[in-house]
Amino acid sequence: MGARLSDRHRTFSWLLVALVFGLLLSLQINSPPAPAPSADGRDRAGATIRRLEEEQEALKARIGELRQELAVYQQETAATTELLEELSAELNHQKALAGLVAAEGPGVVVTLDDSQRQAIPSGQDPSAYIVHEYDLRDVVNLLWMAGAEGISVNEERVVGTTSIYCVGSTVMVNDTRLSPPYIVRTIGDPNKLEDLMRNPSYLAEVKEKARHNGLTFKFHRATDVRLPAYQGSIALQYAQPGQ
Amino acid sequence: MSHRTAQLMWVVIALLLGVLVVAQFQTQHLTSKARVSASSADQSVILSSLVEANASLRTEVDTLRVQLSRFQGVGSSGRLEALVEELNRLKIVNGQVEVSGPGIEVRISGPLSALHAQDLVNELRNAGAEAVALNGERLVLWSAIAVDDEGWLMVDGVRVASPYVFEAIGDGETLDTALTRSGGLIAVLEHSYEGLQVEISYRGKLVLPVHRHPPEFHYISLGE
Repeated sequence: MGARLSDRHRTFSWLLVALVFGLLLSLQINSPPAPAPSADGRDRAGATIRRLEEEQEALKARIGELRQELAVYQQETAATTELLEELSAELNHQKALAGLVAAEGPGVVVTLDDSQRQAIPSGQDPSAYIVHEYDLRDVVNLLWMAGAEGISVNEERVVGTTSIYCVGSTVMVNDTRLSPPYIVRTIGDPNKLEDLMRNPSYLAEVKEKARHNGLTFKFHRATDVRLPAYQGSIALQYAQPGQ
Repeated sequence: MSHRTAQLMWVVIALLLGVLVVAQFQTQHLTSKARVSASSADQSVILSSLVEANASLRTEVDTLRVQLSRFQGVGSSGRLEALVEELNRLKIVNGQVEVSGPGIEVRISGPLSALHAQDLVNELRNAGAEAVALNGERLVLWSAIAVDDEGWLMVDGVRVASPYVFEAIGDGETLDTALTRSGGLIAVLEHSYEGLQVEISYRGKLVLPVHRHPPEFHYISLGE
């Protein structure tokens, strides 16, 4: 009797083991093939991107230093003669216009963020739930129209050569990767800026997505908006002044 | 079956099980990791734009270094020259001087929305355009393109009409390719508007006018 029970017990164990074994085997076979080599490639590409971004960071810091150092010489030189003084004043004005100088003043702060909704109704376009680069362009364009005197998006100052574009779902401004939320800071007449932002004739698409899809789109006036100086390149290779 | 053989079999089975569990775990780990990172196509675009951006940042560092060395050298003529050169560079960027150089002309006959006009200017800037004008209106940093109540396209408050002529100074081939690549902006425009005609021509020398509405600062105060 004791021996028979032990036999049955053993058979049961074998069955259990076989079952688990079979289960794991089938799970293993059903798993999508591991994209080992391309995952490796992605890791390598990711590492290179990080390295290049670090280099970009360092180059921007260097440009900032050089511009400051240069400004000191420019001022010193300007002090020597009246003509140079005039030139230097003009230079400072042009630098300010171009966004090469940090600035502060009253204005408006706009926040845009992807929708936080977890479930997107079937049949709906998922891209209608995120902030696109053209939404940011539309906002920036409208702010200029409202007489903005300076604009930044996250930590990037908008300048004459700025392009706002996207790679996949990553928005790039001044060739720098940004991630949401996107904070658009602007200095100018707060009344005028707010009026145009509210005007239903403008930013129709953004407002629509905010109303129906839960996209974040809000703005508030601020008495002390701070804009960073542009630290990128303004190298000109093709354009010459005059004819 | 001897007792010892049975024990050995148990060990082998346990071993196999362990191996399978580990393999299973690794497979899942790898696939989930692959899902969170950007697609390789996106990564390669990000990579190439970073490489380009860094190259242009290095050029800027060199330019600034040359300017600095002029100031550090003896003689005031070099300094004056450096000041004027930098001033000219900024005046070009700000549209405060007439500017000339090689580039392309994009002529669009047909309807064009304000958003698409903005997209086109953005695309040109992204491809390295150093100066842009639309129907003779120089586009600068603070330029705005909108549609007025009557449906006219407005550039900084000035009405412009079809044909829309965008002139851009820069490397013609780069500018052209950026617009005409498959799935690029021109393809999108042609898809959006039936009968839209787009002509792109290379120009050895374009002359773009001064921006007519320089801004005045009333609210901004400057840091250092």
